Amino acid sequence: MSTRGERLLTYLILGFFSLVALTPVIGVLSTALGPQSSLSTGFTLPEGSPEWGNFADAWDRGHFGTYLGSSVLVSVAVVTATTVLAVLAAYAFALMRFPGATVLFYLFVLGLTLPQEALVIPLYFDLRELELTDTYWALILPQTAQSLAFGVFWMRTYFRNSSPTVIEAARIDGAGTWTTLWRILVPMGRPAISTMVVIVFMWTWNEFLLALVMVSDESHRTVPLGLAFFQGQQNSDTALLAAASVLVALPVVAVYLALQRRFIEGMLTGAVKE
Amino acid sequence: MRAAHRRAPGEPRAVGYLYVLPALVVYGAFLLYPFGQSVWLSLLHWDGLTAATWAGSDNYRDLFTDPALRAPFWHALVLLLFYSALPVALGLLLAATMSRIRVRGLTFFRVVLFLPQVLAMVVVGVAWRSILAPDGLLNDTLDAVGLDALSRPWLGDSTWALPAVGGIGTWVGTGLCMVLFLAGVQRIPRERYEAARIDGAGAFREFWSVTLPGLRAEVAVALTLTIVAGLRNFDLIYITTSGGPGNATSVPAYEVYHRAFETNQVGSAAAVAVALALMIFTLTVAVSKLVEGRRG
Amino acid sequence: MRIPAPPRTTRRGTLRRARAVAGLALGAALLATACVPGTDGSNATRGGPGASTAIPDPAGAGKVTLTVWDQEIRGGTNGAIKELNDEFQEKYPNVRIRRVVRSFDNLKTTLKLALSGNNPPDVVQANQGYPDMVAFVQAGLILPLDTYAGIYDWNTRYPGTLLNLNRVSADGSTFGTGRLYGISQTGEYIGLYYNKDVLRDAGLEPPRTWADFTASLPRLKQRGELPVQFGNLDQFPAIHTFGVLQDQFDADQARDTVLGRGDGFDNASTRRAAATIVDWTKRGYLAEGANGLGYDDAAKQFASGDGAYLLTGTWLLADLKKSMRDRLGFMPPPPATAEGPPVTTGGQGLAWSVTTGTKHPDVAAAYLDFITNEHAADVMTRHGVLPAVPGRAADRVSPDTVDGQMIAGWKRLNAADGLVPYLDYATPTFYDTLSKNLQDVIGGKVSPDRLATTLDREYDAFSAKRRAGRAGTEDER
Repeated sequence: MSTRGERLLTYLILGFFSLVALTPVIGVLSTALGPQSSLSTGFTLPEGSPEWGNFADAWDRGHFGTYLGSSVLVSVAVVTATTVLAVLAAYAFALMRFPGATVLFYLFVLGLTLPQEALVIPLYFDLRELELTDTYWALILPQTAQSLAFGVFWMRTYFRNSSPTVIEAARIDGAGTWTTLWRILVPMGRPAISTMVVIVFMWTWNEFLLALVMVSDESHRTVPLGLAFFQGQQNSDTALLAAASVLVALPVVAVYLALQRRFIEGMLTGAVKE
Repeated sequence: MRAAHRRAPGEPRAVGYLYVLPALVVYGAFLLYPFGQSVWLSLLHWDGLTAATWAGSDNYRDLFTDPALRAPFWHALVLLLFYSALPVALGLLLAATMSRIRVRGLTFFRVVLFLPQVLAMVVVGVAWRSILAPDGLLNDTLDAVGLDALSRPWLGDSTWALPAVGGIGTWVGTGLCMVLFLAGVQRIPRERYEAARIDGAGAFREFWSVTLPGLRAEVAVALTLTIVAGLRNFDLIYITTSGGPGNATSVPAYEVYHRAFETNQVGSAAAVAVALALMIFTLTVAVSKLVEGRRG
Repeated sequence: MRIPAPPRTTRRGTLRRARAVAGLALGAALLATACVPGTDGSNATRGGPGASTAIPDPAGAGKVTLTVWDQEIRGGTNGAIKELNDEFQEKYPNVRIRRVVRSFDNLKTTLKLALSGNNPPDVVQANQGYPDMVAFVQAGLILPLDTYAGIYDWNTRYPGTLLNLNRVSADGSTFGTGRLYGISQTGEYIGLYYNKDVLRDAGLEPPRTWADFTASLPRLKQRGELPVQFGNLDQFPAIHTFGVLQDQFDADQARDTVLGRGDGFDNASTRRAAATIVDWTKRGYLAEGANGLGYDDAAKQFASGDGAYLLTGTWLLADLKKSMRDRLGFMPPPPATAEGPPVTTGGQGLAWSVTTGTKHPDVAAAYLDFITNEHAADVMTRHGVLPAVPGRAADRVSPDTVDGQMIAGWKRLNAADGLVPYLDYATPTFYDTLSKNLQDVIGGKVSPDRLATTLDREYDAFSAKRRAGRAGTEDER
């Protein structure tokens, strides 16, 4: 059988690309545990015992405590707002018929292709006029709007595929649209919703451009920006920079490892299903 | 909207507007409206500080005539090879080799291959800046295997900086494509392969006649996702090269920021932004048309 | 500043057409932007310094938080600022200093946004020249400090040539003269760091003349040493290398050009300086692949013994000394003749300026005074930093130490009037143009000739615009 050779080849390819995918990650991890003020400029291996103190140092020196606080607050707000608004809108788009519904829905889908770069200039001047730059609102509102494009699209797919008999049964029981949504469809849709939540969480957590433009005040800064500026400051301290990178990536990676199915599904299959 | 006609689209209810309204308000105010303003700004000469003057199509004409503006779009197209075409090709290669077997440990590979997708671009940039440094991991590896002739200051080489940044994109995108196609290829019915084999198809023809058609939807998704990601690569450029050396790695996404917020050419920046949005939109539509066309 | 609305009062024909196009393109929603565009950007009058001439007492200012943005990230300067901040807060317990530190690059990219934002910091470090300081003055973002200069005697504390670098004319058109918009804490010049061990092993003395220096390069190369360590991924370092070379060939011309009274860049010294960079790159005198090496990484490699020389600013001294100790030597770029007058690029550190948005200009000025006075100079000296005006502590530093070499070099440079301001001051976009083009020169993509004409074209265009602007009609395009 030729399958043996094919099997080997497949594993070789998979193994090779896994190695490539992991190398930078492992490199950063190992550098993060290396000695500080080493004169090496590349990845390093820990000398002797790993220096866990690097994380504490990076945390202190890079103010990552504050940044993480900002990131958590912004992420939670964006995720919550997106979820509620997207569920409501998608429910209507999926199960109700009203004039203009199709056009409106496509308006939302359009947002999937609009890059943040195309919006950030007027957003900055508008929000500054409203005195909202340097506040969390400047991060929350635009990111909620962007996430809604995906959220509405994704949740509509779920509501479309939900069982008509269940909805019918609810109506016969006398439930209105509101009750049907919150009592029946939302609890049933927990998998779909949690997928949306993790995806939106990741996007919000990793957002860079908006945070760079909207926030110049240290106390409202989010972690990706913190890391970018930390890179400028600690260029000469590779270990601390690596430790900070780990701190920034860790929350999303942790959620990813716990819920990898949801992540991958959300990013990949949404469009396939349509 | 084909699905809408197939299925009963629900009952007509004006209450639908109420459900849509909150989302629409936020979406309209912070996405549609600013985009409209971007279009408006792109028709002006404005430095962001003093009074603006009407520019008409000047800013757009500059996109074609000014080499400093033409270059970023050209770079973006080159980068798409790395961000999009290459990952899809690599993903297909993997799909082709494993189309006949069941892989054990798939979950593990999936998690690992997909990992680059969830890392913040800033983190990716920091890691790769170190790898691509003159004495970084890549050059060290090349030296170690006797390819020292190939080693170079990747991010600082006028010719190689762009491919080097592209390589980072390939690293990010390949896992996504592989995971997508891995799942897709396992869904292709075994019988099709058996039928092909009975017809005496070799591995190559099998790929063209069974695997590739079976992955059509996945390829479309992969192309769409990677194209969009490849054109909005501001973070990565900001962290690694700031568009340098010279203008070798300037891309539209970076140019928007640079012009609007650093050199006070807001109108020109807005024109770049609008052109970028159009480019993404056109390519996305083209991809879906391409796939649908073949389906029909 | 709002997004500009369609113009209303001028050029009616264009206006109507403009509206029609806009309406078609954007729909009715857009026309709702019927707000008047700000036309002058002049909030310059807001929050001007009080007319009092008595020294303001920060202690009486009530509870004050002073937000300070600086870029003193390196070992020496960072330490000095920290110490001075602590002392200031101890002296005035009612004042809390909220310090925001970021690298020069990141400060440069974010300062404009921060200053024009809603909560600008109180004190910022602004780069001199047209790209930053003049732009801030034109937009009315930083305060003139002349009153405070009078109160605190800054005019006598600093030599006029240094102070002038922080001046901008009242109409915001010219840099180097007019009102004072900031004061600098540190002196700065680009000098030659050398690794004593590497030179000794090559049988070389530290160069006494420029010819000694250039003659040592092939010799080091032959021995397999890297002559000049150099990292230019961050784009700014080549400006310094280029500046030093240009100064060697014609310092007066370079100085006049930066200060806006010269004939530009289409000249022999520009070409020779660029050609020298090309030549050194080809011969391997400069680190290979400099465009791909980070500035700090290059410094680290120099510290670890890779490279005989490093041509960069005094700001790195404290950090380099920490890892190199006695192996490190430093001097201004060697002059044409031994004991002759040295010339180099430099002047002073970024200016500390007070923003128009601050609610506490008096406290901010007191802070500026505190971090630049004679006591501060001594603190800086202790941290291995070069104060703009060296104090008593500097006199006590042994001339044999690397710190002593730096201070002595500073005194020699000032005595010989050998400082040429940084080239990137020259036009509003010069930092960008120069740094990108120099990267291309190193990469072999731009010839010295093309560099000279590119730089000159930009310089000329700006000079013409400036002259037109001074004539009274603001060119809006």
